[in-house]
Amino acid sequence: MDNVIQLQKKLVDYKTSLFNEGILDDQFTQLQQLQDESNPDFVVEVVSLFFKDSERLFDELTKTLDQQNIDFNRLDAHVHQLKGSSSSIGAQRVQRVCILFRNYCEGRNIEECLKCLQQLKREYYFVKNKLETLFKLEKQIMEAGGTIPVQ
Amino acid sequence: MAALQRLGQPSGGNYGASCNGADVAVPDQFPAGLRILVVDDDHACLKIVEQMLRRCLYQVTTCSQATVALNTLRQSKGCFDVVLSDVHMPDMDGYKLLEHVGLEMDLPVIMMSADGRYSSVLRGIRHGACDYLIKPIREEELKNLWQHVVRKKWNENKDIEHSGGSFDENDRQKRASDEVEYASSVDEGTEGTLKAQKKRSIGKEEDDGELENDDPSTAKKPRVVWSVELHQQFVGAVNQLGIDKAVPKRILELMNVPGLTRENVASHLQDNTLQKFRLYLKRLSGVAQQGGISSTFSGPVEPNVKLGSLGRFDIQALAASGQIPPQTLAALHAELLGHPTGNLVTAMDQPALLQASLQGSKCIPAEHGVTFGQPLIKCQSNISKNFPQSMISVDDVPTGFGVWSPNNLGAGTLTSGSTLGGMNPQNSNMLIDMLHQQQQQRQQQHSTLSEPSRSINVQPSCLVVPSRSSASFQAGNSPASVNQNCSYNRSAVIDYSLLSSPNNSVNIGQISDCDLKTTGVLSGYSAPGSISPSASSCSVNADNGTNQQVHNSIAFRAARQVPGLVPNVSDIQTSNGVKSGEVLDQGPLRNLGFIGKGTCIPSRLAIDELESPMNNLNHGKIYLDNNSNRVKEEPNMEFVDNAKFGVPLLPQYTPNDLMSVFTD
Repeated sequence: MDNVIQLQKKLVDYKTSLFNEGILDDQFTQLQQLQDESNPDFVVEVVSLFFKDSERLFDELTKTLDQQNIDFNRLDAHVHQLKGSSSSIGAQRVQRVCILFRNYCEGRNIEECLKCLQQLKREYYFVKNKLETLFKLEKQIMEAGGTIPVQ
Repeated sequence: MAALQRLGQPSGGNYGASCNGADVAVPDQFPAGLRILVVDDDHACLKIVEQMLRRCLYQVTTCSQATVALNTLRQSKGCFDVVLSDVHMPDMDGYKLLEHVGLEMDLPVIMMSADGRYSSVLRGIRHGACDYLIKPIREEELKNLWQHVVRKKWNENKDIEHSGGSFDENDRQKRASDEVEYASSVDEGTEGTLKAQKKRSIGKEEDDGELENDDPSTAKKPRVVWSVELHQQFVGAVNQLGIDKAVPKRILELMNVPGLTRENVASHLQDNTLQKFRLYLKRLSGVAQQGGISSTFSGPVEPNVKLGSLGRFDIQALAASGQIPPQTLAALHAELLGHPTGNLVTAMDQPALLQASLQGSKCIPAEHGVTFGQPLIKCQSNISKNFPQSMISVDDVPTGFGVWSPNNLGAGTLTSGSTLGGMNPQNSNMLIDMLHQQQQQRQQQHSTLSEPSRSINVQPSCLVVPSRSSASFQAGNSPASVNQNCSYNRSAVIDYSLLSSPNNSVNIGQISDCDLKTTGVLSGYSAPGSISPSASSCSVNADNGTNQQVHNSIAFRAARQVPGLVPNVSDIQTSNGVKSGEVLDQGPLRNLGFIGKGTCIPSRLAIDELESPMNNLNHGKIYLDNNSNRVKEEPNMEFVDNAKFGVPLLPQYTPNDLMSVFTD
């Protein structure tokens, strides 16, 4: 039981740090609140969908930026999509870079767009890593017989 | 829910059970079981929304492809009550889907998007969306989805119910014509009732507060007292619908006021249309002729010029407020000016003005209702008195726009005014002259519009005025004239709030970046928070004292620029360093032609895509720009359009200046 309590504390602290650092925002909290008995893996499922969609979008973005004549509208459309999904799950930093990226798209600034893409990928993998760690912790607690503390 | 009770034939039992789309809500179970179809290519978001809706006890069907969704709807007609769709989808544009659904199934459609820009939201509304949600979506927003279903059904039933009832003359008149014909019938009705209502209107104008529906024709019905709030709701609804779609039935739907009838709305619409505007215009011209206006411009401001200006101004204001799509503005402008938009404006300050106005409109804080007609007149007189030099235009603007420019920001009007003010005296002269010419051509047609110049001035200023900050605009800063005259107080003014939704990150940033330079005004706009942070320079800080200095010049400019606003929008933008690529939709703006024709159709009124201001007026279509009510005030809303629009206009328009116009 000690282990569970320890794990629970670890989870709470970890989550708090994610919010404090602006990696996740209130929207993520909303997701957690949506999870219930009828949908016990809701958050994990949604986040997985986000990962899948995002990685596909990154491929598209990379491809689009690789072209000789970059189609900025297309680029913008993809970034917009990414912005929407990142905001839906609360990946705040990713969303912010998307906003920046969109500005550069509008400004047709190739160099900045490329930089943004790199930054976007960094932020994305960063949040992905954090979320996966979070889920692992939760799983550990569940397996140890505990319940996920509701913040 | 009493309202629901009225819907008639409540189908007892499970609302969602039957596939009969005609079922009216069941009071005891509704809104549980509401059948929703959600369409979004973003899987994560789709799942989230689905879960949220399930928690609201709705019956949800999801679809990640628009084409599949459409087929589903076609095959299962009557099995859904409402459709919730994303805007940007790969296989089909959300708006296309919206159109199909509207035409084929006549279901309420709610749009969703991460794009919270004013222009986008407006576009959604114009396409007929019942609502526009900005991602990330919160559960609270979905809880009330049922209202759209109820409202639609309710209004349909009401119309059916009342079709055989007895109405007062006006109502009968209105009722006789269906929505499509409404405009024309109102037009005729307007003429007829103009005299009758004139006195009343005048009386009402003096009355700063409530607008009462004194229409004798409503004698049979319980009087509806159009309180300020109610009127604001009305204005908001009209703005949201757009001038061409602002028919009583739809206004009623949007207003969603229990107990309010379509006749009430129709009467009110009539009361608030042309007559007031005309009166306002007359007052404007009267004041102008007193020489007030002329002092602002280096050149004399001719009444006819004003005529045009007003129209323009309105359009500008409207455009600024984002109400008017740039295209419409450009078109209006072109129309007003009687020639291709390109002619009029020289690059001068127009971009600034435009910007300013655009921004202004955006800035306008939401809530100021458009006091249609009333404040306008009031302001007018005030303004005329105060006409300080450059500010006069501003003053004018507010007055003119009192009607529709919300005091809030005066955004609507201010912008115009501001833009005008921004213009150099020479420019102003030039513009005025040009306007003058234009106006003369149009004058006959638009006899009703009289104070174009005034209005124009007003507009920019109005636009400029930041929404939120409008309140903070100190009256003190701006020329006294401006402030005082702005009796628009928020309530009356056009509600650009819509444009400048509080949280909207108005894309003023975009505009503002284009250094509106002096226009602290721009910066002022962002004050209300509607302006996106990027609108740094533009972020009009209404509260900025610095604005004041610019104030005069801006106002002046704005006035001048108004005419040329539209065409110059694009020009201006670039000239002002505005990142044309960014904010301003130059192309569309051109079409706006918001400088307007001689018909001083309040921008609110007149602006309707591709419709000449005059036409709008004639049709009695009032396009109240009360965006705030309607535009979803979601964070991240960017009033790009507004910003763009206004940016060029007011290079130097300080928000304060503009705002002051509106602050009382």
